[in-house]
Amino acid sequence: MPSSSFSLALLALLGPGAVALLLAIVTPLRNRVSAVVLSLAAALSALAAAIVLVKGQLQPVPPQLLTIPWLLQDGVPFAEIGLRIDGISTSMLLVVTFVASCVQIFSVGYMHDESKPAQGRYFTYHSLFLTAMNILVLAPNLLQLFLGWELVGVTSYLLIGYYFRKPSAAKAAVKAFWVTKFADMGLLIGLLVLRSKVGSFDWDAAITPAAANVVTLLLFIAVMGKSAQFPLHIWLPDAMEGPTPVSALLHAATMVAAGVFLIVRGWPLFAVAESTRAFMLGLGSVTALVAATMALFQTDIKKVLAYSTCSQLGYMIAALGAGSLLGGFFHLTTHAFFKALLFLGAGSVIHAVHSNDIRDMGGLARKMPLTTLTFVIGALSLAGLPGLAGFFSKDLILEAVGEHGVSLPLLLLLFSAFLTALYMGRLLLRVFFGESSDKASHAHESGGFLILPLVMLAVPALATGYFGGMFGQLYGTAYHFHLGTTGVIAAGLGLFGLGLAFVLYRKSEEHPALLQPIARLIEFGPMDRLYEGGFHRIALPFAALIGWIDRYLVDGVMNLTGLAFVVSGQKIRRLQTGVATDYVLATVCGVLALVLYGVLR
Amino acid sequence: MIEQVGFGLVAGCIVLAALLVARARSAIHGVLWLGVVLAATAVLYVMLQAPFMAGIQLLLYVGGVMTLMILGVMLTRHHQQEDALERKRPWLAGVLSLSLLGMLITAIQKTPEIPASETTPATIKDLSRSLLSEHALSFEVLSLLLLATMIGAIVLLHRDRPSRLTEESP
Amino acid sequence: MTLGLCLILSAALFCIGLYGLLTHRNAIGLLLSLELMANATNINLIAFSRFRGDHIGQVFALFSIALTVAEVVVGLAIVILLHRAYRDARVGRASEFKN
Repeated sequence: MPSSSFSLALLALLGPGAVALLLAIVTPLRNRVSAVVLSLAAALSALAAAIVLVKGQLQPVPPQLLTIPWLLQDGVPFAEIGLRIDGISTSMLLVVTFVASCVQIFSVGYMHDESKPAQGRYFTYHSLFLTAMNILVLAPNLLQLFLGWELVGVTSYLLIGYYFRKPSAAKAAVKAFWVTKFADMGLLIGLLVLRSKVGSFDWDAAITPAAANVVTLLLFIAVMGKSAQFPLHIWLPDAMEGPTPVSALLHAATMVAAGVFLIVRGWPLFAVAESTRAFMLGLGSVTALVAATMALFQTDIKKVLAYSTCSQLGYMIAALGAGSLLGGFFHLTTHAFFKALLFLGAGSVIHAVHSNDIRDMGGLARKMPLTTLTFVIGALSLAGLPGLAGFFSKDLILEAVGEHGVSLPLLLLLFSAFLTALYMGRLLLRVFFGESSDKASHAHESGGFLILPLVMLAVPALATGYFGGMFGQLYGTAYHFHLGTTGVIAAGLGLFGLGLAFVLYRKSEEHPALLQPIARLIEFGPMDRLYEGGFHRIALPFAALIGWIDRYLVDGVMNLTGLAFVVSGQKIRRLQTGVATDYVLATVCGVLALVLYGVLR
Repeated sequence: MIEQVGFGLVAGCIVLAALLVARARSAIHGVLWLGVVLAATAVLYVMLQAPFMAGIQLLLYVGGVMTLMILGVMLTRHHQQEDALERKRPWLAGVLSLSLLGMLITAIQKTPEIPASETTPATIKDLSRSLLSEHALSFEVLSLLLLATMIGAIVLLHRDRPSRLTEESP
Repeated sequence: MTLGLCLILSAALFCIGLYGLLTHRNAIGLLLSLELMANATNINLIAFSRFRGDHIGQVFALFSIALTVAEVVVGLAIVILLHRAYRDARVGRASEFKN
């Protein structure tokens, strides 16, 4: 039923779009509860559409394309715009709409204390984000994907800067925008290179390996920005200045996953680009390790989760670099569920304690049982406890990386798995167990709007791992789970990490003496300082030079030209006597010249 | 032979009268000499086997345009001095005109001669058929133009409706 | 009588008209000179019509005459207007083009 699936996809795309447009234009509507209702209705209907679409993809069907020509030049379209419905796009659509729906439900409770217009603005942004994400996910070619990509970037800016009166939030929004925009230049240039090499924006066009390497490397720069890979990860921790549900939706589950999705989507290109994939494997594993280390030393609950997100995205990139499409995407999906769960759980805690700092928390397990339970499920899933979702997807990645024997990336990833368990164990112990601080002593369980999405997300965080076969079907690759050596080692390391966390952090959040130098180094913020130094030493003088050239050379030439015309015009003006016969004389001279030319020729 | 002499006479007449127009001291003299040029041209047309054109020339130019010109001169004449046609930079004008003439003559001499055609001259019938069939559109447009000219002249010169120029006059 | 002679006559008439156009200050004088030049072109047309045995030249001359008449009418109207405005028909004074 192609036509019905197209209308469903259009519903998923245009529903939130219409709501965003309506709320953006009709201000009175935005200032009422109707904003919340409309936005939620659009998200839920998109979710329903996505479920039906995924169901349709479970049988082997060819990809369905519905495109219209765009930007006609002499009757030939420059590009096409439309929908592509296949296993990849529908499963991503499902993840996006599901997490978005959960986050929006959560937001109803979380943002309850905000004023009505502020809530309306918030939900308008959410609808806009969902539209942008769906444009990206359903894109039939890289150009439309780029369109959605940039829209997502703008929405991210808006949502990080939601508390725009707070200087740190405004700064973080600008920083995120700058860093990702800088990286997006790679995508734009990559697009143009692709177009010039193969003549279209399609990712499944025939391409030589050399060209594919260039294009994919450029695309990967954009991915590094969007998916917060080292060394462009610096914006993600700062982005936690936005409301917590926003962090859950954009900076954990969907937007940052867009980078991974780009690689999944452009897989025909990446599959032939050996060098790029080798680079991805290395960078992904390094990111996984660095970010996991940073996560261990954070005291802000959201920053722990943010660095954890970086680290897990590193896993996905490494998996794709190792050539495991399914591993990358499977982990994207499970991670989207459990990381959204963790962020929303953190939101619930923050809502109760009114602080982000884990030193203000502690002993919340008795006061907030449901939040604790779901958070523990998410955390253990992330830590890779056997049987939970995260274990299966991580195992698939490690197996893919370790396919060709023991290598440095494999070791880095395994150590990261241990670190992951360690920092999640620390977080669990400090937040939910032990003695409670003053602030935490008055906390109580959150309301229904906050709890419902937690439960909704806890289910897939528990169970997605058992649907690997279904994902295999959606991707056209077989998936059979079998516990290999790497899997056993990873599970063992995870358990060891949790145990070590229990030993180290049961009593206090102080780090053991051995780790103190690393803590101090991270506090120093080497990457941010490096960028800052680079900015002040190189970028600013360069900008000043350009500014000087512009002001004195370029403008000077322009002003001089203008002056020359004014002066010469004043001189030439004298020629115009206003006497008719003088004009006749001039005409005659011209005619004479022409006749002379005719005669002599 | 007769033809040659006739052409020579007519041509001489035209050039002489034209020179007198260009050098005329007063406007009314210029107009009268122009009449001579036009009438002589009509004779030339007859010699070129275009009797109908000769008639038109006489009717329109000598009859219409000359009358108009004389009327115009009389309407604008107030003082004797003004009537005199002043001249400026005659030398420059002479050099320019003569050089143009020289070039034109060179060009004409360079071009190969066409012998006179032996076909019968065009009759009024031919002309009118051509005007009203092939060139019917141009003909109608021309009549529109003449109508517009007439209306334009009336609007410009109507005294009861002062124009911008007359309002500004001292 | 040859075509060349007719063309030379026409060229001479045209150049005389041009001389008048360049030297006269009086608007009436300018109009007269224009008439001379128009007449020169008409002679050209008729001569070609004769020597090529094609009556289209005469038709063209007919149009040309009508256009000249229209031009004279408008020209004279302007001359009279100028005269009313400045009590003078000299074009040299009418440097209103200059702003």
